[in-house]
Amino acid sequence: MLKFVKISEDSLLPEYREGDFVLIAKIPLCFDSVRRGDVVVFRHPLHGMMIKKVSHVAERGSQIYVMGTHRNSIDSRQFGAVGKDAILGKVIWHIGRPTR
Amino acid sequence: MPFSTKRYWLDGKWLGHILLTPTQEDAMIYKLIKMLDKRFGIEQAKAHCDIPCGIYDPITAQIAALTVVRMIDLMNDLESKHPAGGLEVQNSIGRYVASKEAHAEKAKHEIRVIWGDYIKPQHMEKNPELHDLVHKIMALGSKSRQTADRETAVQFVGAINEFAGIFWETKGIAVKRAKAPYPPALDMIYPDL
Repeated sequence: MLKFVKISEDSLLPEYREGDFVLIAKIPLCFDSVRRGDVVVFRHPLHGMMIKKVSHVAERGSQIYVMGTHRNSIDSRQFGAVGKDAILGKVIWHIGRPTR
Repeated sequence: MPFSTKRYWLDGKWLGHILLTPTQEDAMIYKLIKMLDKRFGIEQAKAHCDIPCGIYDPITAQIAALTVVRMIDLMNDLESKHPAGGLEVQNSIGRYVASKEAHAEKAKHEIRVIWGDYIKPQHMEKNPELHDLVHKIMALGSKSRQTADRETAVQFVGAINEFAGIFWETKGIAVKRAKAPYPPALDMIYPDL
């Protein structure tokens, strides 16, 4: 139901940095409340497990469009919407790497 | 030292709280999870980028701005040597203007990239003037495109130099002031490596 995930790479800079941890909720109830602005972890057939921010939700929540906040992010602008079934959970706790 | 009573909530339910300073608390939780990661291996999620990130340097913007001044100098030089003009002069002026346009926009673009992708809230807290400075650079860049006013272009270089000084300071790297080793040989800010 709950799972810690470690972030690699920088497409969600400046909010999320490489090395940060997030706790994601896999509770089915939470899937229904995925909405714009949520940060979600999902599986992509080519890129593996990814973390991105939800830019919008379409077709009654079945199609989720995701985006990074960095200019070089690979996201729905390249690979389109993510199916609801591919979503592993949404971030409910962000544990940032200490800066000093 | 003030202590935190930060509470953690999940879907409206209180999970608990720890009596520590915010920094200690965050660092301790991070350390704990990192230990779990080492012991059990926490799965990684990619915040995927198409190229490796993290390479930022204001020198590209500084050189582009310097080029704007150089193009204006070349235009003034040509005009003084050939006051009557002519097709060849028009052709050269056209090329200088095109280069001035391109380099002013390039300088603005490079500053926007550093501003948007590198500058973080902690940099803003330490350098609250950054926002106004970036806006000033954008305005001076636009004015450098619209006119052939050398003074404006020199101010453009100066503002970008100021930005470069702040950028290197955020990285803890000292800077030095030196003349560019090529015309127009204006004062520039370089990292003192």
